[in-house]
Amino acid sequence: MNISLTINGEERQLDVEPRRTLADALRDDCGLTGTHLGCEHGVCGACTVQVDGTAVRSCLMFAVQCDGSTVRTVEGLAAPDGTPHPLQTAFASEHALQCGFCTPGFLMLAAAALEENPALADDPDGLRELLTSNLCRCTGYEAIRLAVRLAAAMRNTGGT
Amino acid sequence: MADPGDMGQAVARVEDGPLVRGHGQFVADLRVPGCLEAAFVRSGVAHGLLRSVDLTASRRTPGVRGAWSASHLDDVPLVPAMLYPEGALDRPWPALATDRVRYAGEPVAIVVAENRYVAEDGRDRARISTEPLPAVLDSAQAGRDEVPLFPGLSNVAVDVTVGEPVDPRVWERAAAVVDTTYRYPALCHTSVEARAILSRPEPGGVLTVWCSHQAPHRLRNDLAAALGLPTDVVRVIVPDVGGAFGGKSETWPEYLAVTAAALRLARPVRWVEDRAEALSAGPRGRAQTQRVRLAADADGRFLAMELHTDAAVGGYPHMGAFLPEVTARMATGAYATPEVHVRARAVLTNTPPLCPYRGAGRPEAAYAVECTVDLLARRIGMDPAELRRRNFVRPDAFPYDTPTGFRYDSGDYPAALDLALKTLDYPRWRAEQAHRRAADGTPLGIGVCAYVERSGAGGEFGAVEAHADGTFTATSGCCATGQAHATTFAQVVASALGVDRHLVHLVEADTSVVPRGVGSFASRSMQNGGEALLEAAHRLLAEARRRLAAQADVPEAEIVVQSGGTLHARGRTRTLGELAAHHPLRAEAQVEPPQAFPFGAYAAVVEVDRELGIVRVLRLVAVDDYGTVVNPLVVHGQTYGSIAQGLGQALYEEAVHDADGRPRTVSLLEYLLPTLSEIPDITLEETCTPNPATRLGAKGAGEAGCIGVPPAVVNAVADALQIDPSTLTVPLTPETCWRAAR
Repeated sequence: MNISLTINGEERQLDVEPRRTLADALRDDCGLTGTHLGCEHGVCGACTVQVDGTAVRSCLMFAVQCDGSTVRTVEGLAAPDGTPHPLQTAFASEHALQCGFCTPGFLMLAAAALEENPALADDPDGLRELLTSNLCRCTGYEAIRLAVRLAAAMRNTGGT
Repeated sequence: MADPGDMGQAVARVEDGPLVRGHGQFVADLRVPGCLEAAFVRSGVAHGLLRSVDLTASRRTPGVRGAWSASHLDDVPLVPAMLYPEGALDRPWPALATDRVRYAGEPVAIVVAENRYVAEDGRDRARISTEPLPAVLDSAQAGRDEVPLFPGLSNVAVDVTVGEPVDPRVWERAAAVVDTTYRYPALCHTSVEARAILSRPEPGGVLTVWCSHQAPHRLRNDLAAALGLPTDVVRVIVPDVGGAFGGKSETWPEYLAVTAAALRLARPVRWVEDRAEALSAGPRGRAQTQRVRLAADADGRFLAMELHTDAAVGGYPHMGAFLPEVTARMATGAYATPEVHVRARAVLTNTPPLCPYRGAGRPEAAYAVECTVDLLARRIGMDPAELRRRNFVRPDAFPYDTPTGFRYDSGDYPAALDLALKTLDYPRWRAEQAHRRAADGTPLGIGVCAYVERSGAGGEFGAVEAHADGTFTATSGCCATGQAHATTFAQVVASALGVDRHLVHLVEADTSVVPRGVGSFASRSMQNGGEALLEAAHRLLAEARRRLAAQADVPEAEIVVQSGGTLHARGRTRTLGELAAHHPLRAEAQVEPPQAFPFGAYAAVVEVDRELGIVRVLRLVAVDDYGTVVNPLVVHGQTYGSIAQGLGQALYEEAVHDADGRPRTVSLLEYLLPTLSEIPDITLEETCTPNPATRLGAKGAGEAGCIGVPPAVVNAVADALQIDPSTLTVPLTPETCWRAAR
């Protein structure tokens, strides 16, 4: 099936089988391998991307469901001039990644949430609930939580 | 003056840039032209005679490029044994099952296709005929040898004793003896990236293999030997690795089958294990059944301990047969128990193969010892912390030779426990507990664990080279899987050379560039690999001294090494880069420090909901002594992660099979990993007893949370419910605790 989507600001025409997941279309058809597959059944969240601004598990969506949609992946998180997103800076400074495999999913999850509600970082329960969506086996999560809070503070002060 | 190498500083990692931008290069991310994808046809039964494998329909599937079972291959590669070949003798493990299957999920055939979808189509069209045999799933049953996995051979692959037998009179005369059993379930490593390999035959008979691995040189040697290739034509490259935790040290049958298929097709072939495969048929850890006996005198001083442990090593002993002996040797724990005797067996079972999982034998030992110490404390009515203090190996007793044959290098166990209790505010929680008990409130318990572990083993290679442009290359035989070697090894080398750490670039994990190496497991990277690089850096300085002495015609003794990587002699100054301008300036080191024994104390406070059985960890304190710490940010991060895995072991994780040996925990909705919501309030503290055997002083780090947390949490739950810890079995599910609270 032919579909058309806007991925990280770029218009893409894809010819995909109906059964092809969005994750595989992004990774294999578009070469955007930053979106990782950790479980392929919607639990770990490593494959989280944004579809029309909402964080979704790209392993649980078929590519054809995204016809006409706007998709943002981790490769589209930094500014066009390469300036890192505050979350990318904060994840590094807080040691919020070790192997880094789950990191793109956490970044896309948190980026969508902070865009929707910049005050989320000040709501401990809301932030905890959000980050409970995804699995990390290396960090024990605390550094991820701190990184999201730091990124929110950086955004609110206009810094990067 | 500040150390430009930032030794000991919590500097941010240099690895993170590509990873946060989505530019990591994990095996599945590699874009290799013409690469085919593999899927495995796996046994649906846990034990049976393989009658036939029909791949006709698989091969007819459009897009399938090849499908093979053992019967289609002239020569099925055999899986090599890791570390303990004795247990694997006469028990061949073909990469694809030949006449018998010994665990559900065992690879029976490989299907290679243009993409993974088609490969799975082909896999699903394979027809296997198996004549089922009774499945033996636990070590006690299997150890009776009523159902042999290898006809004519015992299911007991390894049976070792460690320490002298305890004089029976000790048990008779002791003031108190406790005798109990434990079951430590099978666990799944569950790195978020499961196993992955890509093998590409090159023109000229060379083979390039990218694998998500911890020990590239071992993998290279094993692949070459198993496939009948010269070692020097195999190149193993380990790209980014999405977590490993012991499950990626081995040469698994799937790796051999993928590589054999690539060679047959003369095409690159990749296999990326999916989560269902990893949980149902992938590596397992722990899986021990233990019986422990501990005797003490009237003052609570330990007289003797006896442990019998059986590990269920799965259908093949090749990867896990050495683990029970590790447990046996660590059974002394932190205590000066005069007599310790252990019998440890590796028993074949119709379950997926056992291999090291973070802690690898030490968590099982700490569990047996530390839960039993609490059991004894309860029996004799003594505070468990006080009972530990009375029995610790004293700080002035090091080096301490244990009855189980290890030499503990250094330590101060009372200091670690005291710091843990102080940080926890132990008296306050005891008061809170008394208050709740008086008021019939929600049960609250406090548990401690004083652990000793073992780190590092074997030699390691390191090299440092100075370049004329002022940069340096550090080459290591280790292999990072998320531990930040590029950052921390650069700190070690730069600090020794007195140069900015950003000038030091690390090379590792490529067998064509690194001449030899052992890899990263057993908490060995900084202890052994860091030491090798430190030694190489000092040898580089020595060579630079000799070079400048010759150039300037001055005695070496007059040469002063100053910060910034510069050397001075009689008014002449040369940088290391200048000294490298005309001749390579490079030094190598091969070091083999003895294994070290990091230690610490963990304390947990829990409350248990009597009606729902839910355990809530209110507070967790971890005191660890890793010796010299090169980068606290990295070490604390690993401690946190290890604690999270320890909580998983204590409360959530278990690989479950049905009565026929078919896996029941096949998704992450059944095999439960901790999320952020399960992480309690954690405080990390440290003591520092440098490794006396090395210049660097580092001991292993990163596995302690898996060792210390489970006994601390179980002891705390038992304390809350006022029951013997041995009546609880991990994971402490709500049902387990609800029943225990009745």
